[in-house]
Amino acid sequence: MADPARIKTEDSLEKEGFTNEEHLKKDQTEHELVPETSAGDNKEPSTQDHPKDLKTETEAAAADDEEEGTSGQPSSKRLKVEPEKKKEKRHKVDEDEIQKMQVLVSSFSEEQLNRYEMYRRSAFPKAAIKRLIQSITGSSVSQNVVIAMSGIAKVFVGEIVEEALDVCEKWGDTPPLQPKHMREAVRRLKSRDQIPNTKHKNILFH
Amino acid sequence: FTKAAILMADEEDEPGFEEELDDGSGGVDAAGHGRRKRLFSKELRCMMYGFGDDQNPYTESVDILEDLVIEFITEMTHKAMSIGRQGRVQVEDIVFLIRKDPRKFARVKDLLTMNEELKRARKAFDEANYGS
Repeated sequence: MADPARIKTEDSLEKEGFTNEEHLKKDQTEHELVPETSAGDNKEPSTQDHPKDLKTETEAAAADDEEEGTSGQPSSKRLKVEPEKKKEKRHKVDEDEIQKMQVLVSSFSEEQLNRYEMYRRSAFPKAAIKRLIQSITGSSVSQNVVIAMSGIAKVFVGEIVEEALDVCEKWGDTPPLQPKHMREAVRRLKSRDQIPNTKHKNILFH
Repeated sequence: FTKAAILMADEEDEPGFEEELDDGSGGVDAAGHGRRKRLFSKELRCMMYGFGDDQNPYTESVDILEDLVIEFITEMTHKAMSIGRQGRVQVEDIVFLIRKDPRKFARVKDLLTMNEELKRARKAFDEANYGS
């Protein structure tokens, strides 16, 4: 049985890209300066979406310029206009995304709100992660490493849980997830090389 | 696997048994990962709920996830130690290792950028306070 909360939040958030998380965080937790919440807020995907939009935009702009002036002017105009247009476009799309997110979150049911709050607020304890990494390296690590590693670990958990939910749905079971779903999810992710494994060496020529 | 988890849970109920085997560090011995005290049980439960599981996930599933996470972090750390500056783990190494995975890469970039901005904001805030 698919969970509508999951479908709405995960899929739509993943596809549309997230809004500027700082914006949301400032609204909700102004006293919290530490980035404890980890949410999927992707400036990267939105900038990745941009190049496609940008190409058509700048082509249109270039076409407009050529219509207006002589041959000498448009190229310099185009150069000046391009970076500004890029920033404007990025701002506009960011604001659009922020608005879309706000509309989405405002229409959540209580259960969805709970889940969304857990999604954003849950995080690995920095101290434990730091201790774990330092026990492996034997030397101290910087704070950024701990931040990066905690973030990646959370994404990792998300990938497994999502895959396990897919498996669960496919097998006609209901959440809560059972170990057999988790194991099948791991098996699938391994075949897609999303789970690192340096224990098994491929001997090419035996 | 689940039987092993249940067995290990039973062992933990008997303090005498554990005192003999436990070397104090919660340890890694031949029995495997499960011997170590559970580091992330609470946080993992919240995370699983956030990512779509039930509000009360099964303990065995949480255990499996914890083992996976610890293995993941261990592998990443070992790989990071072997590239770049040997024997040390640096952010650049992690970013390099994660470059092929778009989600993780984007997430790390965002986190580091946000951290920089927060540090700058905090510094500006402190300086403003100090000035006045």
